[in-house]
Amino acid sequence: MNRVKGLVKKPPFWGFVAILLLLAINLAKDPRYLAITVSPVTGNLVGNVIDILRVVAPILLIAFGMCLVIATGGIDLSVGSVMAVSGAVAMQYLHDHGAPDSVGDALAAIGLALGVALLVGLVNAVLVAVVGLQPFITTLVMMLAGRGLAKVVTQGQNTNAVNDPMRWIANGYVLGIPVVFLLALVLIVVVAVLIRRSALGLLIESLGVDPKAARLAGVDRRALLFSAYLLSALLAGIAGLFATGSVMTVDVSQTGYQAELDAILAVVVGGTSLAGGRFSLGGAVVGAFLIATLDKTIVFLGVPASATPAFKAVVIVVLCLLQSQRVRGWIGQAGARMRAARKAVA
Amino acid sequence: MHSTTRITKWSTAFAAGALALGLAACSGGTTPAGDDGAGDGGAEGPITIGFVAVGPEGAWRAANEQNVQDTFTAEAGFDLKYAPATNLDQKSQIDAFTSFVDEGVDVILLSATEGSGWEASLKRAQEAEIPVILVDRGIEPDDPSLYVTRLAPDNVEVATAVGQWASDTFPDGAKYFTLEGPTGVGVVNERNEGFDSVIGKRSDFVKVGAQTANWSTEEAKSVIETVLKANNNDIQYIFAQNDEMGLGAVQAIEEAGLVPGVDVKVSTIDGTKNAMQALADGKLSFVAEYNPLFGDTLLEVVNTVLAGGSVDSQIIVPSTTFDSPEAAKAALPDRKY
Amino acid sequence: MTEPVVEMRGISIEFPGVKALDGVDFRLFPGEVHSLMGENGAGKSTLIKALTGVYPIDAGEIRIAGEIRRLNGTADARNAGIATVYQEVNLCANLSIGENVMLGQEPRSALGIRWKALHAAAHAALERLGLGALDPRAPLSSLSLAVQQLVAIARAVQRESKVLILDEPTSSLDANEVANLFRVIRRLRDEGVAILFVSHFLDQVYAISDRMTILRNGRYEGEFLTKDLDRTALISTMIGKDADALRSIAARRARHDGEPQVVLSATDLGRKGSIAPTDVDLHRGEVVGLAGLLGSGRTELARLLYGADRADTGSIIRAGKRADLRSPRAAMRSRIAYSSENRRDEGIIRDLTVRENLILGLQTKRGWARPIPRREQDELVQKYIGELGIRPADPERPIKQLSGGNQQKVLLGRWLATQPEILILDEPTRGIDIGAKAEIQGAVAALAERGVTVVFISSELEEVVRLSDRILVLKDRRKIAELVNGEHVTADTIVAVIAEDAATAHEETEA
Repeated sequence: MNRVKGLVKKPPFWGFVAILLLLAINLAKDPRYLAITVSPVTGNLVGNVIDILRVVAPILLIAFGMCLVIATGGIDLSVGSVMAVSGAVAMQYLHDHGAPDSVGDALAAIGLALGVALLVGLVNAVLVAVVGLQPFITTLVMMLAGRGLAKVVTQGQNTNAVNDPMRWIANGYVLGIPVVFLLALVLIVVVAVLIRRSALGLLIESLGVDPKAARLAGVDRRALLFSAYLLSALLAGIAGLFATGSVMTVDVSQTGYQAELDAILAVVVGGTSLAGGRFSLGGAVVGAFLIATLDKTIVFLGVPASATPAFKAVVIVVLCLLQSQRVRGWIGQAGARMRAARKAVA
Repeated sequence: MHSTTRITKWSTAFAAGALALGLAACSGGTTPAGDDGAGDGGAEGPITIGFVAVGPEGAWRAANEQNVQDTFTAEAGFDLKYAPATNLDQKSQIDAFTSFVDEGVDVILLSATEGSGWEASLKRAQEAEIPVILVDRGIEPDDPSLYVTRLAPDNVEVATAVGQWASDTFPDGAKYFTLEGPTGVGVVNERNEGFDSVIGKRSDFVKVGAQTANWSTEEAKSVIETVLKANNNDIQYIFAQNDEMGLGAVQAIEEAGLVPGVDVKVSTIDGTKNAMQALADGKLSFVAEYNPLFGDTLLEVVNTVLAGGSVDSQIIVPSTTFDSPEAAKAALPDRKY
Repeated sequence: MTEPVVEMRGISIEFPGVKALDGVDFRLFPGEVHSLMGENGAGKSTLIKALTGVYPIDAGEIRIAGEIRRLNGTADARNAGIATVYQEVNLCANLSIGENVMLGQEPRSALGIRWKALHAAAHAALERLGLGALDPRAPLSSLSLAVQQLVAIARAVQRESKVLILDEPTSSLDANEVANLFRVIRRLRDEGVAILFVSHFLDQVYAISDRMTILRNGRYEGEFLTKDLDRTALISTMIGKDADALRSIAARRARHDGEPQVVLSATDLGRKGSIAPTDVDLHRGEVVGLAGLLGSGRTELARLLYGADRADTGSIIRAGKRADLRSPRAAMRSRIAYSSENRRDEGIIRDLTVRENLILGLQTKRGWARPIPRREQDELVQKYIGELGIRPADPERPIKQLSGGNQQKVLLGRWLATQPEILILDEPTRGIDIGAKAEIQGAVAALAERGVTVVFISSELEEVVRLSDRILVLKDRRKIAELVNGEHVTADTIVAVIAEDAATAHEETEA
């Protein structure tokens, strides 16, 4: 009983409940919602769950990066633009130089794209850690500049390209599971192990809670900020490759548009405070899955386009309310009162 | 040729003006309007035109603004001052507009990033006797007394053509899905209106849903992937309100193991090069152009206005539709955007 | 004898699992300053919260001006004439002084606030405290924290309060500011206001209060007239044991014999605007006290030794080699540790647990790639919880839930775990209760025995004298004297050194 109570207090718990609830709603609409079949044409696993796995992959990556940056007491608003830049570089390279089936070209495009993404991250890190600008302003500027850079790279065009290895990474399957999901999974496991098995987690948290005290305790603020912003940019760059690779087109004004909001939402739903400090990578995973499931559910249910933002907002607000200790207290009190009233009547 | 050009709603007054000034436009380097109301100060030299533009927004806008800049060249006797908005910010546009008025340019071209909030600026231009021509984007509330004319392709008309094609293509009706742009944007409403004006009358067309994909290929793919599953692939037609979304829909259809153009037909609006290529490849079934290249028409209007002629307050730019791979292949080599 | 204005009898308050107050009596007479004494956790704050209506009482009764009152909420208490000024000043920095004084009671007319009347009333309220020189129209933020506190008092007594509660009002004030505050308190007392005073500084308690009530573990230990109770008796009543334990620390440790071994030697160490170039030698196993008033440069000197600030003159020889201490990390590598005077903002990491706070120093020293294994962490934490007497002895509790003294012990543990050769402690005993203070002093003495060099900074001169082998006296951001401790050195000696320096400095400028 106590363990259940402890679980209820952990914020990711409610995100998890929300995911199950959304799946249940979808099941109510179509009992075969969770069914996974083998496509007779392509031989791959087909199903709504598989779609969710594919959609969640980029969100997982940026949410992870965002979680670490937020934990240091900062924020990275540039992740969406980094996605666009990275996608733009890859697509433009493949468009100009790529042979349709060259693995080497795909790898070159990926390397180039991630290099540019890291460059944006480096600018963020230098401005925040060395110059001492506020993370919000710094990354806001890079959010605008990044998208501008993407437009420069493609000369304002929505460049498309043909390259089968690249397309396979974003759309292919291994053992029936989408490649993007497997890659995202491997990446976040590596990052999570790196953070939690080393002392990085503790150091980042202490920096996020109290930078002054952390400095006097010998915490190397600069190195940590560099790692966090660079990692965030790298993960966002990979997410950008996933997003553009899935349609082999970069949409300079839409790729990664408002992705930073999804990432922040996933992190907050996962129980990490925007104030920095304590963070939960597991929570961010739950948050990312919630957002992916929510997006897919809206389409599956056929929620009218005009009602979509409201629907999303309601789900998120309810979730945040459930996570608030105070609101849970009220609900508990109301419940107790009702029980008491019922007892009195009896 | 399977393409059809439709020229509509040309006002007679404008047709006359165009005819008269067509000659002037042909004569190239000479300044056609040496002595007009707005340019008294310095009748000599080129005609200055202030272009309050949107700036980088996408392929369509890029083609449109490039086309305007290519039209009003120094060789043609113009001095075009191009002022794109910074990050689609209306304030930067108003600032540019005001400084054009203060400079006393001969004509102002305005593509407003936001419809509302232009009354004061337009009145200033009116007091300074500088004619303002709206390019593509309208203003809200629409008060034709504040500007000379608005030159734009007509979204309702373009979408009506799509509806007409769908109606002809599916004589027995179809189950269809609409991919919309961002909710609440004027363009989206107009394109819905035109499409529904035809399809709304057909009871054998069943709308299984509509969802925004924010003009994005990637989102459209994700939406259609789920929509197909939710409907057991029982959809025959997708109306995509722009090219990018249509291309995303095609990919989702292919991933689902269906054949675009056979199992599910997709139509789009805009007519960018990518879409024309897809139409040529048989992946898209119909592309309605939303023509960005109306520099020539604009030039005629400007000359008419400077010569003191009158033009209709609403001038619709003719657009084309493409309904077959052959039409697309024929048009592809000339596509500028 | 006059009637007490507040009389609390048999007050009990219970929290889940804890009896915070157990049948406590307390009375307060008009025109007296009454100190509430006790260690942290003795129940002082709980009693104050009962009197200000924050906590409902489970048993007992509260009489105010003879009438039994039930105080439900702070508004009730305010209406009964009880005003409170908390440790952290609770004013609006963006409003004017006058607006702050009159907040919530602005004189109004149909047209809104009557500013003239407001400023006049505010001026009157300030005048009453001898603060007539302050301009009510000036922004509050133009005042120092100490004066802001006086404004807070003006605001509290503005509404004809009969009782004024001052909870740790002096914890961030320097000697001059304390004197100012006391002048105001005496003035109010003479007007008949009853003042409840809480402070950890015994000197201040003796200087200002007429009467004391002592609590221990939520129980009433007695009420005394200040003049009847000497310090030793007070302390032993507060901690409930013989004061000999305390005195044993005061007993001089065995003097070190043989050649003193220099572990650090700084020459001309200085930084513009914070401390003039200063020479410092530190020896192995020695306690060096830095004495001086707040702002004399003692913290600034310590920060230069630790690399928390960068020196712009001078050099440091550490263990025979030149050391460039340009960051705390560099200093840590040189086995120097520094515990800041600002425990809350520069010491503890609030949201982290006791364990995490304790191992943080050792972890940063080892680097992120070499995490301390959990078992080693647990051993370390157990060791220091035991050695330093950290309570509660729960390693997984967030440190913010601990009392100030126990937080300080955790910080001490953090630095001890890095096994420093030089440990700089800046005000480690400020604002903590007497028991924890004794434990920390004991730990310092023990460290020195083991060969660690301790630099000890404290505003309480007695404490510096009691612990140090050598005392550097600072004033106006420079070192003015170095005293070798001995029988002849007392707190008064240091005060005399500082005062004399003022005299000579004065003469010098005269000449």
